[in-house]
Amino acid sequence: MMIVVKNLKKEYIDDGTSTIALAGVSFTIEKGEFVSIIGPSGSGKSTLLHILSFLDRPTGGEYTFLGKGIEQMSDVELAGVRNKDMGFVFQSFNLLLRLSVYENVEIPLLYSTLPPAERNAAVEKAVESVGLSEKLYVEAAKLSGGQKQRVAIARALVNNPDVIFADEPTGNLDSKSGAQVMGILEDLNNKGHTIILVTHETSTAEFADRIIRIRDGEVESDTPVTKRRRSLDQFVK
Amino acid sequence: MRIKDSLKSAVDSLTHGKMRSILTMLGIVIGIASVIILMSIGQSAQDLILNQVEGIGSNLIFIIPGGTNGKLQSPAAAQGIVIKTLVQTDVDALSREPSISAVVPLVSGGANAVYGDNNLNITYQGTTANFFPVRNYVLAQGYAFTDEDVAAYNHVAVIGSDLANTLFGPNIDPIGKTIRLGNVSFRVDGVLKPLGTGPGGVDQDDLALIPVTVAQNQMLGINYFQYLIVSANPEYNISFVTSRIQSVLEQDHGITNSAEDDFTIETQAQILAVLGTITSVLTYFLAAIASISLVVGGIGIMNIMLVSVVERTKEIGLRKAVGATEGDILQQFLIEAILLTFVGGIIGITLGGLFVGLVYLILTYIVMTSWTFALPLSAVVLAVAFSSITGLVFGIYPARKAARKNPIDALRYE
Repeated sequence: MMIVVKNLKKEYIDDGTSTIALAGVSFTIEKGEFVSIIGPSGSGKSTLLHILSFLDRPTGGEYTFLGKGIEQMSDVELAGVRNKDMGFVFQSFNLLLRLSVYENVEIPLLYSTLPPAERNAAVEKAVESVGLSEKLYVEAAKLSGGQKQRVAIARALVNNPDVIFADEPTGNLDSKSGAQVMGILEDLNNKGHTIILVTHETSTAEFADRIIRIRDGEVESDTPVTKRRRSLDQFVK
Repeated sequence: MRIKDSLKSAVDSLTHGKMRSILTMLGIVIGIASVIILMSIGQSAQDLILNQVEGIGSNLIFIIPGGTNGKLQSPAAAQGIVIKTLVQTDVDALSREPSISAVVPLVSGGANAVYGDNNLNITYQGTTANFFPVRNYVLAQGYAFTDEDVAAYNHVAVIGSDLANTLFGPNIDPIGKTIRLGNVSFRVDGVLKPLGTGPGGVDQDDLALIPVTVAQNQMLGINYFQYLIVSANPEYNISFVTSRIQSVLEQDHGITNSAEDDFTIETQAQILAVLGTITSVLTYFLAAIASISLVVGGIGIMNIMLVSVVERTKEIGLRKAVGATEGDILQQFLIEAILLTFVGGIIGITLGGLFVGLVYLILTYIVMTSWTFALPLSAVVLAVAFSSITGLVFGIYPARKAARKNPIDALRYE
């Protein structure tokens, strides 16, 4: 089992008033799954994603990732797991615009144990897999939104992680670019990567084989997708 | 993160905002340049002063009236207090000492030197014939006065080259002419070769040397000497000669306890040591003042780094999200700060060095002083080290601030 979450809680205390973002969430995700986490804003889905992706720690319950509990891991160890086993795709891309595509994709490798001699091949492979090889040395600022998100996906891929977390990856894109991005994620899932997608759009969520609905910090439903949406069904790739 | 990668990333981010980086560095550049300039000029001034003192001759010992009571202070005579304890019997007693080759008594005073319509305010020195070989004063024209002239109260004078020029001009031969010093007439017997500027910036070439007897009795109306110069016999070492002088003078003055000595003996080595200390302290004092500007420059760097940390909140969040630890972020921002100050330091050293070279050229070829070009290695090393340390010290706070950013907040920051 890749991800095991038991009664996960997150409470924020600010100026003496407490806000419960997660009120006890439980589920498991297996290796190779494509899971969408969906819910309205304020439902706690972003908090859940932050905890699942080791950017934040829960205030209660258990979270085990690849057999290791988050409680037992130091901040440096969490950073190591984020670097080696997780990839991130954000709604606002978060590219360093002054750097080239190559340099952006290389960033996770700077913090990895990969020998510098092997970086080049890894970066080129990742950029090729999102179809941007011809833009390798172009400054990130000069790319379109869709291209930026594809670079972000390449960056998430470069360390060949087990799981890719995507936080509203199509939120800032037009439908054509969004479809392209979803196509790439789908493709990655077919190649064995676990994908965890957070979104508020049902149509995007249906690319997954399973949808976890979150409302008021709890799991409202956890259902398989019967008719999985396919990028090729609707969009020209 | 490897240092090499941090360095590359620092270069990327600093060259991205070139103008800002240059302006930020300016404080450090100015600070380091001032440290270099002041240390270098201090060193050159020190060299100049010490060279002049060394020119006096290393076998010379100065005896100044008035004791120091064993304390570290200027002898009374040097503070302008008149002390009348050094007299002819002291000179006679010291002259009998085998470890001493010559004793030269000196008195001095100011007077207006007049020849025809020309005049110049000068300092005259009354001394004996030994003065010339002891001080290595060489004549350009004529001859020096003799001990017979001194004994006979002869009104003869040897004058400096500037004084000769002022009084006589290029066309009149000064030798044999009569000049007045105050109200007393002297026959010019000799003109000295140019000596240049002495310690303390005194022009040595506008002086007149006259027999000490004439100066004491007819000019100053005194019977004591203002100081004595002793030339040590080269067969004896200076500290032995110094101790002999002390016991001879103590005996002559009837002093039994050395703490009550009414004279002070100074060797050239002591004078050099004291001057060396004073000039070094001054040099470092100047450098310390200059380094205040480095602190100001450092604060400038800290400010800009803090702004940069805020501006790059998202970048920090992203780097942390993809695996950077707090240590990685700290390292990255510290290296940026150190790189800024290091490069600023190098530019500052270059500019400071150029300025010092310019000063050297001006002083040597236009003002014509014997200025030496000194860019002490210690100053360069100190400057580079100090500027990098400035980066480290003032970079730590912004870098820690960056390192501690929560990746979630950092990623959300717009």
